[in-house]
Amino acid sequence: MRKLAVDVVVIGGGSTGAGVVRDVAMRGYSTVLLERADLGQGTTGRFHGLLHSGGRYVVSDPLSATECAQENAILSRIQSEAIETTGGYFVTGPDDDPAFADKFLEGAKATGVPAREISVAEALRNEPRLNPRILRAIEVQDGSVDGWQLVWGAANSAKAYGAEILTYHSVTKIDTADGKVTAVHCTDLKNGEDVVIECGFVLNCAGPWAGQIAAMAGAHPVDVIPGRGIMVAMNHRLVNRVVNRCIYPADGDILVPVHTVSIIGTTDVKVDDPDNLAIEPKEVQQMLDAGEVLIPGFRQSRALHAWAGARPLIKDNRVAAADTRHMSRGMAVIDHTTRDGLDGMLTIGGGKLTTYRLMAEHIVDAMCEKLGEKRSCRTADEAIPGSESGKNYLVTHRLEDREHDRLDDQIICECELMSRKMFTEALATQPKGTFDDLRRQLRLGMGPCQGGFCSMRATGIALESDHIDIERATGLLRLFLKNRWIGLWPILYGDQVRQTALDNWIFQGTLDVEHLPQPESEVAL
Amino acid sequence: MSRVIVIGAGLSGLVAANRLAGKGVDVTLLTKGIGGLQLGQGSIDVLGYAPDRVTNPVLTLSAIASARPAHPYAAIGAEAVHTGIEYLKALLGDLLVGDAEANYQLPTAVGAIRPTCLVQPSMVAGNVTDGARFAIVGLRRLKDFHPKLVAENLSRTPLPDGGRLDARPVMVDVPARDGEVDSSGLTYARAFDDPAFRDRFAAALKPQLNEGETVGLPAVLGLKDRGAWKDLSEKLGHPVFEIPLPPPSVPGMRLNEALTALAKAAGVRVVNGTRAVSARVEDGVVKGVTMATAGAPREFTGEAFVLATGGFESGALAMDSYGSVTETLFGLPLQGLDDGPLVHGDYWSAEQPLFSVGVRVGKDMRVLDAAGAAVHPNLFAAGGIIGGSSRWAEKSGDGIALGSAVRAADSIVEELA
Amino acid sequence: MSDETKPGLEFAGHEFARASLDACVKCTICETQCPVAAVTPLFSGPKFVGPQAERYRNGDSVDHSLDYCSSCGTCTLVCPQGVQIAELNSQARAVMKADHMPLRDRLIGQTTLMGTMMTPVAPIARAALHNKPIRTIMEKVVGVHRDAPMPPPQGQTFASWWAKRPKPATAATRGTLVFFHGCAGGYFEVETSKKSVEVLEHLGYEVIVPKQGCCGLAQQSNGLFEQASASVLKLCDDLRAAGRDLTIISSSGSCTGMLKHEAHEIMGVDDERLKDVGTRIRDIMEFLLDLHEAGELPTDFATIEMTVPYHAPCQLKSQGMGMPAVEVLGLIPGLTVVESGAVCCGIAGTYGLKKEKYEIAQAVGKPLFEMVKKTNPNLALCDTETCRWQIEQSSGVKTEHPIWMVHRAYGLS
Repeated sequence: MRKLAVDVVVIGGGSTGAGVVRDVAMRGYSTVLLERADLGQGTTGRFHGLLHSGGRYVVSDPLSATECAQENAILSRIQSEAIETTGGYFVTGPDDDPAFADKFLEGAKATGVPAREISVAEALRNEPRLNPRILRAIEVQDGSVDGWQLVWGAANSAKAYGAEILTYHSVTKIDTADGKVTAVHCTDLKNGEDVVIECGFVLNCAGPWAGQIAAMAGAHPVDVIPGRGIMVAMNHRLVNRVVNRCIYPADGDILVPVHTVSIIGTTDVKVDDPDNLAIEPKEVQQMLDAGEVLIPGFRQSRALHAWAGARPLIKDNRVAAADTRHMSRGMAVIDHTTRDGLDGMLTIGGGKLTTYRLMAEHIVDAMCEKLGEKRSCRTADEAIPGSESGKNYLVTHRLEDREHDRLDDQIICECELMSRKMFTEALATQPKGTFDDLRRQLRLGMGPCQGGFCSMRATGIALESDHIDIERATGLLRLFLKNRWIGLWPILYGDQVRQTALDNWIFQGTLDVEHLPQPESEVAL
Repeated sequence: MSRVIVIGAGLSGLVAANRLAGKGVDVTLLTKGIGGLQLGQGSIDVLGYAPDRVTNPVLTLSAIASARPAHPYAAIGAEAVHTGIEYLKALLGDLLVGDAEANYQLPTAVGAIRPTCLVQPSMVAGNVTDGARFAIVGLRRLKDFHPKLVAENLSRTPLPDGGRLDARPVMVDVPARDGEVDSSGLTYARAFDDPAFRDRFAAALKPQLNEGETVGLPAVLGLKDRGAWKDLSEKLGHPVFEIPLPPPSVPGMRLNEALTALAKAAGVRVVNGTRAVSARVEDGVVKGVTMATAGAPREFTGEAFVLATGGFESGALAMDSYGSVTETLFGLPLQGLDDGPLVHGDYWSAEQPLFSVGVRVGKDMRVLDAAGAAVHPNLFAAGGIIGGSSRWAEKSGDGIALGSAVRAADSIVEELA
Repeated sequence: MSDETKPGLEFAGHEFARASLDACVKCTICETQCPVAAVTPLFSGPKFVGPQAERYRNGDSVDHSLDYCSSCGTCTLVCPQGVQIAELNSQARAVMKADHMPLRDRLIGQTTLMGTMMTPVAPIARAALHNKPIRTIMEKVVGVHRDAPMPPPQGQTFASWWAKRPKPATAATRGTLVFFHGCAGGYFEVETSKKSVEVLEHLGYEVIVPKQGCCGLAQQSNGLFEQASASVLKLCDDLRAAGRDLTIISSSGSCTGMLKHEAHEIMGVDDERLKDVGTRIRDIMEFLLDLHEAGELPTDFATIEMTVPYHAPCQLKSQGMGMPAVEVLGLIPGLTVVESGAVCCGIAGTYGLKKEKYEIAQAVGKPLFEMVKKTNPNLALCDTETCRWQIEQSSGVKTEHPIWMVHRAYGLS
């Protein structure tokens, strides 16, 4: 049993929680962040990779549009390393209403979202794969962002200010006394140890799970509706800018280049359980059709991986409960004092990744107000560690890095140009990490071969490091291959079938990996 | 004009072409690449698991042939497999040893123990036995082989015949090329072809070995020099064996180069370069296959055709984004499509039915339709294109390739006579 | 949009090659066959600089090891999946060199110019090209290695010989062919061109030799895509002027490849004229094999008792038709043709001339040079000019186009 005492406990390690813990720490509070899995494994790790220019909302949700535009500029500066300033287009498809583009431009002007109409010829010259039959094109300042770099960046900033970041810690109980929160109980899942954290305040940033956390403190049900959406990553950058359909927001209307892939998304289906998100074949077909509108020949391109995430949307009286697409993206801070007679806890719901910093600012402001303290937010002023130079991510980075060190260091994940040193250094910071924990930092196994060549190498190197034994090493390999498959089989067709055939040939045919000694219980984390 | 066109330069295509040419038939071999043998482990799998570990492959495959009528071995038969094995051994001389009645049990590059039937002599000393003491040696600059992973898994695994062995890891750093820290297995194999390199290597390794140990190395012991492994063993004073790696597989390359050279020497005309994109059929008879050669496509005509194009890995079979599976050259009817979903989400527990999809064949290897009639009287199939089994799981791909290739070749020779 | 990115090559062909990277399953077969990766760690291999690096390119290439790719095309040829690896590499290199094209690379592509200038002063030019001090200066100033094989200037161009020769004695019985000699065949390998047309006339064809320019291959392989595209289209006009339905025969293997597929696949030239010429052109040995397959090739060859090594050039192999020369020569009684089994001679057009690439090129070709010397120290056969010059220079063995052997076997020499 471990005991801690801090001013503030932040629950939830997605963008909301990471942003909040950073702001809390920068304002001088002692704080701990609790996350039951790795950072960014909930909604944040499963999103589109889009840093909104605000364009998407200029007609449908003007408040959101303005916030996005402002925060886009701030984040591109302070979290420059995690963000690629790709730019974006809004294009009118051949069967879309060309008049919407006029509404778009008016809305952009009104909301302060930078937008400029360009000729279709220019758009096609810059993006040769775009549908040559598009009717209009508008240039905006969309960008793409690595969600895990984003949250770890914020978390590392918080750590620099004294915060403790506890991943793989699952909250089990929240103690209250006299209508006030007093402590949070959690279990360290990696070693089974219980931890009790005395605290003055709890900030519930658990996204789709926020309702479950609030209930632990005895609050009335909080209506956070999980809206499931799927994404499909295509094997290479079909476009180098974000490409949006210039229409009222719909399914599958955005294609985002993130690192070496381009991601088409998304759908929006109300579900009950955020821990059980299926990748429905019908939705996959829908995404491929949507892609075909933007990029003729999309279906002949290689689909690499798919996933499903759940948006945390607060129940909004303006729309029907089942229609989650049109809910406001605005954030809501739920004050449990007035609502539940419970002091010392705030729950935040809704919002989007692009405005995560602003969300955090709001909730921490609300907390300070509750505490009767005046401490101002500086998160927009200070760069995240690693982004001090203000230099944004470029897709060519790793190629350049490897050019410098290729003759001195081995490349372990060749698809994603991850060097041996990158791997061993990450391993040293997380000796108990799974290969997926490492993958989120390094992109190991995220390229065309999906771990076909690199997972055995990673296993061998991890074992050499002496942090793990042979049983765990073998178990981690099995877990990694199993987890990769989750995102492969729903989109398995064309070139990826060939890849899978070769990977099977290697793993089963040459390595006979399935006949390695099997553990009594599989390694899970 | 050749009398027979073989399409595909994998194991089944090369064996069929060699066998036909050996019987005096004029053969043209069409291939997109240089064949897939160098992607595999360089030994010949006849039957490894059924689903338990198999010790006598030819005996067990007879049982399979009876029990599973849709399995390729049911059409091919144990006798053809036997013939294929003997044929390949004769063709390759001392490059392969073993016989159809017994499997070797060899260590893999993750430390599992896999059954295989014919092996290269350089692998024999790795056959696991109770009480064996292995020194598993890694090369620092070769990232595809991790001795600790191999040694510790081998040591903790009960052996197929009972008993245990003891394996320990050793690491050696001898560069294959100056200034290179990330060398492929092939670069090392070229280095091992050089006796001076072998001297240096032996000098670096020998002091680290204990008496009575058998040395397990990654399969990089020479590409052109078939005696390199033996020479190394003598220099070390210890028995030595090779463990196959993921591609590029040097033992696979040895087989590929040998079989291709034999085919050319036997007079097979090898046309390497472009995809076979269409076939011409008249009155139900295949007349020619067209390759997408540069400039203008070229048709290759013949009297009989062997489809040895492989499976999904080579693009011979494909599944499009709507889930529709086709054989991509002739559009042949396929088996295995009607038994439910082709792909499922359970990675470890069961095979993916997709990879058992393929064409049906009769006992003469003619391609059949669902009713059992020959699709084209002069179209035969061999190797991975035949459906009905999961080759990697069973470790049966090479036996299927050999058996079907000799059956197809012999059927054609009978027809042409 | 970041200022650091540049627009890529502006043609659909780039996107086609780029899209083909999806077919890569990392099987490593291309790496195992790459002749440059086999001899130097400086080149990271075709898989790396091709489909792998292409996923990281945004109109720019920052992997300078790409420059070591010789564009031999072996990778595309051996790829079982259909990735256009060599094409990707060529395109990426053109982008990489766009801002700082060395003068040497511009000059080296001017084969016609070199031919025109050297022919009138052939003996002097020849002497100069073999003069050590002059070559040393050339190496320092222009960057062409002092020992690199140089084209042999002749005293008379093929065009001049063609214009002056008497018409053939027997009338044509089989129809008309257009002959494309290429720059080397026009200025340096004149004898090969002569023998080619003599064989065709012997077979009963009427041969037309229109005024013709350069196919642009040397410019293309040095990344001068604009110039190369202009050259190749002008050549198409020249060849089409001779007659629209005629088969075009070439004894220059690499130029044939340029017209059949490279100009389209590497530079994205998408023109009816190129398509027309590309479908009508045949390499001369390919043409003879086609005749034989149709039963129309006279096989009354004289016996030539000889064992001779034959090297199929990369750019012939990559046309995907196998090795027609081996088939045709196999019809000559007494002649044993031994395939070199070597991937590449190393010259790769102009690659092996460059001082920083020379040693690599020699290392690449070494197994071939040794095989040739061992098989027949007096004669070797090869279908492209620069390969012949490389083989001769580095092995010391006289190297001819296979058509010389056919010419001899028909009793024409």
